[in-house]
Amino acid sequence: MLRAQIEAIEKESGAKAISVALYDADSGFELHYNADRWYHAASTIKVPILLGVFAAIDRGDLLPHSRVHVRNRFLSVVEGVPFRVESGRDANSAVHNAIGKMMRVDELAYHMITTSSNLATNLLLGVIGPDSVNETLRELDLDDGLELRRGVEDELAFEHQINNRVTADGLLRVLVMLAEGKAFSPALSRRMMDILHGQEFNQGIPARLPKGARVAHKTGEISTIAHDAGVIYLPKRKPYALVILSEWDPTTTGRSRTIASISHAIYEFLAPGAAR
Amino acid sequence: MNDVPGFPLRVVDGLTLPPEYRKALRPGEEWKDATGRNRQLPRYFYEVPSWDSAMKVELAGHFLLWEFIQVDVREAPPLRTFPRYVPCAVTLLAVCLERFREAVGTFVHISANGGYRSPSHRFSRNATPHAWGTAANVYRIGDTYLDNRSAIERFSLIARETLPGIWTRPYGQPTGYAEDHLHLDLGYVLSVPRDVKS
Repeated sequence: MLRAQIEAIEKESGAKAISVALYDADSGFELHYNADRWYHAASTIKVPILLGVFAAIDRGDLLPHSRVHVRNRFLSVVEGVPFRVESGRDANSAVHNAIGKMMRVDELAYHMITTSSNLATNLLLGVIGPDSVNETLRELDLDDGLELRRGVEDELAFEHQINNRVTADGLLRVLVMLAEGKAFSPALSRRMMDILHGQEFNQGIPARLPKGARVAHKTGEISTIAHDAGVIYLPKRKPYALVILSEWDPTTTGRSRTIASISHAIYEFLAPGAAR
Repeated sequence: MNDVPGFPLRVVDGLTLPPEYRKALRPGEEWKDATGRNRQLPRYFYEVPSWDSAMKVELAGHFLLWEFIQVDVREAPPLRTFPRYVPCAVTLLAVCLERFREAVGTFVHISANGGYRSPSHRFSRNATPHAWGTAANVYRIGDTYLDNRSAIERFSLIARETLPGIWTRPYGQPTGYAEDHLHLDLGYVLSVPRDVKS
């Protein structure tokens, strides 16, 4: 029934593809709808990067208050060509305003997730390195369905089709591990979840949920992609983790509405009436 | 080791520092620059006991010590906590920057990692005057960010006209060029305070 609803929403949306992965910790219910299909990760790759940052904190290589030089100059994975992150693409100017100065690792992690700062993302990745993130994913047995190959806004890499990729199942495994407090330690998992709770872009998964729902999530959007991946907390029940990935023609509209509709259908299926 | 009259920081011989500092600072050692020439690293340092003192010690009229020792997580761990050590030649750089500031007539901002950084800093691939305390990366002058050719070349010219012998990195992307700051340096200057007994 739920699968049929999602199929109907997909058909009506005009999306090129939609994938959904769901795990409900309360009932044990799972849904994997086209969930092993690979997508350009867009900004959802920032969740695995967050995991990589906290792995460095867990190892003692970084402290939350370690300071990082804010500099807008990065090297493409293609021939090391320098590039910059456009300030207009970051939703707030806090990180760009600190150019030349330093920001703390925890501040950068917060901006990377809550306002999806690309500058913060590349700065953190510059400190820990993509190899370190991939090693962390392997160690946690999360590397199936997640591919980190570069920083963000590396347009030359994009032209060479070197992109970060995810599947719905891959992201779901990360979220479930975080929600269960099993990423490094319960305390560190909680800190990552706290950051995800600060998400400021709420037009997707949370948009049609009742006011009492709390959602820790990360969105991702480029011209042909709209994703949302999060953990939904409702009163008096355990949370459920939900990943919705979608691919579109650049001119098609209604992306956030589609994600919100799928999220709403899942809410009505799992917990009708909760948190109203 | 020594006190310099009228200057609040103690001079220390790097060779007498504990092993973890000697490993990071490599006092007096030779280090190859990008062209393969050997350069001798500084041996004498000012000891900076605390951030509070770094915020108070004036190296020139408009430059306090802290501006020259801002390093991030890429610096060697012992050198990210106090006491910190900065080569004695940093005072020469400060005097030059003061003259430069007079010429431009406004604030001159040194970037993080843009003053002294040790040979163990992750940015230090070859010998660079930053490890001598004689180089500065200026990212902003007044309200102007030095992130474009026009601004970098304009202030580079002022620096060269104002400071005889100063070297500025040309604008550009390849290694050896700069595109998001003005790098200026005095070269590999060693400063040996006159009272040291070596």
